[in-house]
Amino acid sequence: MTIDPTTWSKLHGATTHFPIALMLVSAFCDGASLACGKADWQRALRSTATVTVVLGALGSYAAVATGLIVAKWQFWGHGTLLHHHQFVWPAFALMVGLATWRAAARFSPSRKPPIAYLILMVFAAALMSGAGYWGGELLNHG
Amino acid sequence: MAMNASIQSRRLLPAVLAAACSVGAAFGLCRMAATGPVPIPEPQTGPSAEHGRRLFVQSCAHCHGDDARGSGEDGDGPDLFGLRIGNARIAAVISTGIPEEMPSFAKKHGAADVADLTAYLRTIR
Repeated sequence: MTIDPTTWSKLHGATTHFPIALMLVSAFCDGASLACGKADWQRALRSTATVTVVLGALGSYAAVATGLIVAKWQFWGHGTLLHHHQFVWPAFALMVGLATWRAAARFSPSRKPPIAYLILMVFAAALMSGAGYWGGELLNHG
Repeated sequence: MAMNASIQSRRLLPAVLAAACSVGAAFGLCRMAATGPVPIPEPQTGPSAEHGRRLFVQSCAHCHGDDARGSGEDGDGPDLFGLRIGNARIAAVISTGIPEEMPSFAKKHGAADVADLTAYLRTIR
């Protein structure tokens, strides 16, 4: 049985948007919880941030696996693919690390996450956005 | 508060390990795929354009497109139809690459592979 070569590309497109969206939503929820004055809203936003970052990290494995198949197992590549990977790998590492930290430390939704976590989350969201941008460039010019 | 911070700091180790293992596993998979099983060399009588075509799809199509028309996924590679350079020059470009534009494939493809790729590129016009 042979698989249509475009199948992996389609699967990568389908799987890659989940971690991007979930990480951005998680960062947004943490940010919004800082700005929000109501305690019950803060708890809800932080719980949402926890769930989204963990789901995003789990989803990122599927995105990475399909991406590596599409890229013919090139860890870096060159040209636009290299730019894409220069953002993808740090974003992937940060996302998995932050989700693991958040899940393992069991941040209480009634308390603010550590400032280091929030800074790294913003950095990871920026890297993820960059990865998405260069992924789009690959698609547009491919 | 200080105790809470200490507990959270101790949870950093699994986080760092998870991140490092995940990226490391991806890197390892790429290395394994790049190395692959050692192929048994077949006796050859001369450059094989057919084998060159397979190598092209494997190594070059990403930038130059499956049809060598320069429409690869990476989008950077030029159209390779009707090249107006000699075989030696084609082989040299494949082996040494072009600074800032194309990587060297010397480590990935030996002289026989480069000859096959050159033979394939000669068939497209």
